[in-house]
Amino acid sequence: MPEPLTTSLQAVFGYSQFRAGQEAALTALEAGQDTLAVLPTGAGKTLIYQLYGYRHAGCVLIVSPLLALMTDQVNRMHLAGFRRVAAITSLTSFGERQMILAHLAQYQFLFLSPEMLAQPAMLARLRQLPLSLLVIDEAHCIVQWGPDFRPEYLLLGAIRERLGSPLTLMLTATADQATKGEIAKQLRTTPTEVTASLDRPNIFLDVEPVANDAAKRERLLTLVTQLVFPGVIYFSSKQLATDTAQWLRDQTGLPVAAYHAGLSSEDRFKIQQQFMQGDLAIICATSAFGMGIDKNDVRYVIHYHLPADLGSYAQEMGRAGRDGQPSLAVLLYAPGDERLPLTLNQANRPDDATIQRFYAHPQAFSVDDPGIALLTFYQQHGISATAVQALFERRERERGRALAQMLAYVREPQCLRARWLTTFDEVAPAHTATCCAPGKVALDLDALGLKRQPVSAPTPVAPSWQAQLRRLLIADAPR
Amino acid sequence: MDPQDLLDLLDDQQARRLRVIENLLRGRKTVSTLYWGQRYDLLYLLSLDKHLARGGLDTVAQTLVSQKMATWLPAEQPQLRLTALGRKQRDQAVTFRPKTQALWPQITLGLARQRLLLSVQVVSQYAHQTARYYPLTTDLATRQAVRQWFHQVKSPELATQVFTALTASLTRLPPMTAQVVTAGFSGYQQPGLTVQQLAQDLQRTPWEVYLRHVDGVVQIAQDARQTDHPLHALLAPAWQTAVTRSAQATLRAVATTDLTLDQVAVQRHIKPSTVREHLLEAAIMLPVTAVPYDRLLPPATRQALLAVLPAQLDDWEYTALPVALQQRFDFFTFRLLAILCDKEGDHHAGTPDD
Repeated sequence: MPEPLTTSLQAVFGYSQFRAGQEAALTALEAGQDTLAVLPTGAGKTLIYQLYGYRHAGCVLIVSPLLALMTDQVNRMHLAGFRRVAAITSLTSFGERQMILAHLAQYQFLFLSPEMLAQPAMLARLRQLPLSLLVIDEAHCIVQWGPDFRPEYLLLGAIRERLGSPLTLMLTATADQATKGEIAKQLRTTPTEVTASLDRPNIFLDVEPVANDAAKRERLLTLVTQLVFPGVIYFSSKQLATDTAQWLRDQTGLPVAAYHAGLSSEDRFKIQQQFMQGDLAIICATSAFGMGIDKNDVRYVIHYHLPADLGSYAQEMGRAGRDGQPSLAVLLYAPGDERLPLTLNQANRPDDATIQRFYAHPQAFSVDDPGIALLTFYQQHGISATAVQALFERRERERGRALAQMLAYVREPQCLRARWLTTFDEVAPAHTATCCAPGKVALDLDALGLKRQPVSAPTPVAPSWQAQLRRLLIADAPR
Repeated sequence: MDPQDLLDLLDDQQARRLRVIENLLRGRKTVSTLYWGQRYDLLYLLSLDKHLARGGLDTVAQTLVSQKMATWLPAEQPQLRLTALGRKQRDQAVTFRPKTQALWPQITLGLARQRLLLSVQVVSQYAHQTARYYPLTTDLATRQAVRQWFHQVKSPELATQVFTALTASLTRLPPMTAQVVTAGFSGYQQPGLTVQQLAQDLQRTPWEVYLRHVDGVVQIAQDARQTDHPLHALLAPAWQTAVTRSAQATLRAVATTDLTLDQVAVQRHIKPSTVREHLLEAAIMLPVTAVPYDRLLPPATRQALLAVLPAQLDDWEYTALPVALQQRFDFFTFRLLAILCDKEGDHHAGTPDD
């Protein structure tokens, strides 16, 4: 009989208690049940498969759509003490891929992007492996249409069967009933559901309507000047994140940096570590920021642009206050802000005429266009033009519905928390003064205890390069 | 690259092709790019910005033109020439000249950089006895090389040895360069600053900061050629000859046999035109003594060509040669002579017996 779960938890992570949902998910898996775990950001979803992998022989295969961040994931596993971990994505060099494939059987955890998993040669190799667990990370991507969407996710059900239907863990931070049903259907299983409340009572929710972009910028500056550190501001464009970081730095003199997928991996590493270490007061980020950042004391998250759906919003604002201390989530909204997600939604989708022309003459199109790449994928998998059209229409309706829910949150007059939680079929707690400030209610930072006290910080004297090098390399150098 | 960075790469006497500068940065080593890179004295730019998009300098160039710092000559390829104002501006600015730039074409920069940065991080964490930390994201080959090196050299003295060696290298460079390199390192309680952040702090352009960083990396790699340097095993493999292996083989065949160029082509199973490209590449990238000019450019050939070519090298045009000479001498011979004249600093041709 294997050791109790808590014994394993203590042995691997040094914790004595699980967080909500972790133990239930592990118990279900231990009983051999496929499990769908809907746990909020910061709930420690990774721990579930890490611990399962520790307790069982064989390989844990993790399918994740977040290509650029998979290396971070591997590093985090290393940091947690797991050594036999590898990732194969389209970004993995040929040499590295060969190296990993040559030692495939030795890995305890293997991260794969869906497109890699869909390759027949890869699948054939994986079929020879003893899989202890198949993990579908970000499982809502199966139904979600967006930048993270990978058509290969639609093949996962068939792939799972070809792998011999191994025990499967589906993970997501966000799924309403319809999404949960679709995930189960696509993966051809009837999973045990484990959910924990999405609510984050220590995060005060705030929506602030502003007249226009200029007013929004001004409001952002005021907030940033008054709020305690550290904070994250989300943007929907890399350029705006970069420009605003510069502007805020100039205006406030605070250490502010931009973080987005356009940075080199070296710069991403440096900015992340600076933020973790407390060298930065504010990060201006795109949605690329989040994973790999286990920072507990983020005091506020501000959204400068309207997220495309409440699920993404909850995930991003949920990076505030993981330490349980009072924190703040602000959404700035100017009339017409919904146009951007709407445009992005439509821009990703080939129109009906293009679909027809593509199916008539596929060779006349360049697969460099993501929309065409998608069509090529569907065509190669025998999906007809009509079915694709219907698929796109359905997705667009879904996205429209999600955006409408987001807007309903922005326009909610009574209780933002109730609006958010009920959208995800959860019963909301009673509204109180420490709950939220909808559009017409003013935000009182003093009352929240999140107002920064003015301190005259001494200007740090930059050390000489010799002293800096000494501190870096010599353990007993003066710090 | 900011406008002032590009300004520094231009001249008022010589119109310079923007595509050549762009292709040098992108690491496109065609003979034409290399030749003009040499003529502009900009070969050190080779492969410094491999991710630069085609046309990636056009906007910056247009800015200089709109500021009346440069003129845009709409030739077959756009050429830029500094105006008097641009020249003045360039000369007034205190421009940074990398100390080690002559060595840059001989080093695989990406390899040296990645290995240096990761090894410093590993040694720093080791010195402070940190077992668990986020390693810099590098490719598998770098990780393996650093791991192997570390296991070979690991000792209680390692950190001090690395500290002493790096200090010695950085002392040879301007203090600001030493500061850029040191502040960019990641290690114990030091995430390291990005090029952008350093540029901000030091009030310099990101491009200049990057050049300083490269200067530091190359200086360290140069010092690590000494076999007793703690980073020797890691950084020595980054050095290479400035020409491809295949071009080296062609040069060897030409220099050590009496075969004609076409016979060399047959022997090496390459096209005759490739033999000539290899020789031009070698002539540009290697010292004069490495190429058998006497054999490839006999005195009679030089005299015949120099008698009719203009004094200024940049004015030489093969197609402007009299037809009879074009029939006697191919483009290869013409270009090789230009390279030789450039290397010998002979900008005033026309002296038949040089």
